[in-house]
Amino acid sequence: MPVYSVSRRRAIALLALSSILLITLDIQGNSAVQGLRGIFATIFQPVQSSARVITRPLENAWQGITDYGELESENARLQDQLDQQEGAFIAALATVRDAQELLALNGIDNLADISSVTAQVIGGTPSNFSQTVEINQGSDRGLRVGMPVVNAAGLVGRVTWVDNDRSLVLLANDSLYAIPVQVVNQPDLVPATTTTTSTTTTSTTTTSTTTTSTTTTSTTTTTSPSLAPPGPLVTTVVDPNAATTSSSTTTSTPFDYSGIDFGALAPTTTGNIVTIAPGTTAGGPTTTINLDDLPVAETGIFRGRGIDNAPVVEFIDQNSRFGEVQVGALVITSGGSQSLAPRGIVVGRVIKIVERTGTSGAVLEVRLTAKLTALNFVRVLLYQPVATGIP
Amino acid sequence: MIDFVNRPVLRLFLVGLLALALQTTFFAEVKLFGVVLQIMLALSIAAGLAGGSENGALAGFVFGLMFDLVLTSPLGLSALVFGAAGWAAGYLHSRALENPRWLNALVVGLMSGLATFVLPVVANWIGVEGWLSSRLTKVIIVVALTNALFSIIAVPIARWSLVIRRNQRLAPPSEVFL
Repeated sequence: MPVYSVSRRRAIALLALSSILLITLDIQGNSAVQGLRGIFATIFQPVQSSARVITRPLENAWQGITDYGELESENARLQDQLDQQEGAFIAALATVRDAQELLALNGIDNLADISSVTAQVIGGTPSNFSQTVEINQGSDRGLRVGMPVVNAAGLVGRVTWVDNDRSLVLLANDSLYAIPVQVVNQPDLVPATTTTTSTTTTSTTTTSTTTTSTTTTSTTTTTSPSLAPPGPLVTTVVDPNAATTSSSTTTSTPFDYSGIDFGALAPTTTGNIVTIAPGTTAGGPTTTINLDDLPVAETGIFRGRGIDNAPVVEFIDQNSRFGEVQVGALVITSGGSQSLAPRGIVVGRVIKIVERTGTSGAVLEVRLTAKLTALNFVRVLLYQPVATGIP
Repeated sequence: MIDFVNRPVLRLFLVGLLALALQTTFFAEVKLFGVVLQIMLALSIAAGLAGGSENGALAGFVFGLMFDLVLTSPLGLSALVFGAAGWAAGYLHSRALENPRWLNALVVGLMSGLATFVLPVVANWIGVEGWLSSRLTKVIIVVALTNALFSIIAVPIARWSLVIRRNQRLAPPSEVFL
């Protein structure tokens, strides 16, 4: 039977109390804890870098042994997927160009306007519970804590810790991750009708259901219903022609109206970091849309739930126009002055709806579009909301 | 200078740095059945076996704190759980008259499994949700088995870290006290 003197008991109690104190300080967001992490990172980084160089061949050998078969089949599957995506990509380009044009005309922030830094994932999570990856870019390239991280498929996570030349990314499926999102039901067809006029003394408004004309119209008007099924709001595709806008001619093409927010927010660039400030009304052409024909978006909070649980969207603001949430509904970031991500980043699709009793509303289980288990290159959007933006 | 180098806390810190470097690079990528092996936890428990409950608690606290400093989870969480695991391993060790390797492996395996279960429970208690899931069973089994195997080298490393051999060598013979 071990004999514990009073001093030994005190020492063990001191260690336990120290742990509890540290947990309390960290949960309260004490800056000393962040400082401690920074100091330790300075000491640890050279050791870790050396270990990474030394162990890389061993890792590669292990992965070569264990993943070779899976790699071959995945390669074949990805080739098929690539062929399918190529056609869809070309079709999407035209849609994206129109979407960006309309966003610019209405002074709405656009992901294509936000500078980004491409980074490579250099390390996985060392824990079985936290979902993080390490990337090879840091504060030297303008990264800051909180910036959103995306890849070609959609949202990946956010920067949670930054060093000079590397950063830690908290993945979107981690239980500490949460962000405001919009859920957009996707109808089969969007009867889109757009009329754009060059502003003179009179305006013309035309919709699919009503037509209103007044005198002295001197504008060109084109109206056409959309026949194309609405696609997801692909904002990661950048078309160089998208920046050029015409002020006198108008067109109307198939277009996903879920990308439009008429809250009139305009992007303001501060250095390389985009912040959102209240916009000004553009003096150019105006766009009028029959709101009843648009897919309605509901806002909620997206929250990760760990590696083996699907993330959820909860606290949905029920809107009578929105109706029932459908499986397959698109989930995108909602943006706003407080959100750490700009509006329009694709998060995923609703795969399951769990109804709850009372006023708590439904919980939507979401499948992320980005495959978080096989990340290689990611993009960090140099974006900070106005609440934390640096002047 | 020699006395400074031979301080257990310094040795623990240096061993912890190397182990943490391996944990965050090699073991973060090389997973067994999708589970990350936990050598920091194994070393904490091995310290308890090598040096008793007090040293186990100290080593667990140091290794856990170092692990927390590179994770996004609350600082002190692993320190608390690893420290408790080290202390418990030392307590179990003290109950046995002899400590063959198979018994050390058994204790390391059992304590690793228990600590892997307690970690998400404590995390859940302090408000970190999502760690308790059906996957936890697989994680506990894999971590327990691999750490039991790892104990073969972890216990000697912990013994060196805690300067146990040197202290025994320098200690006056027991006849002095007779």
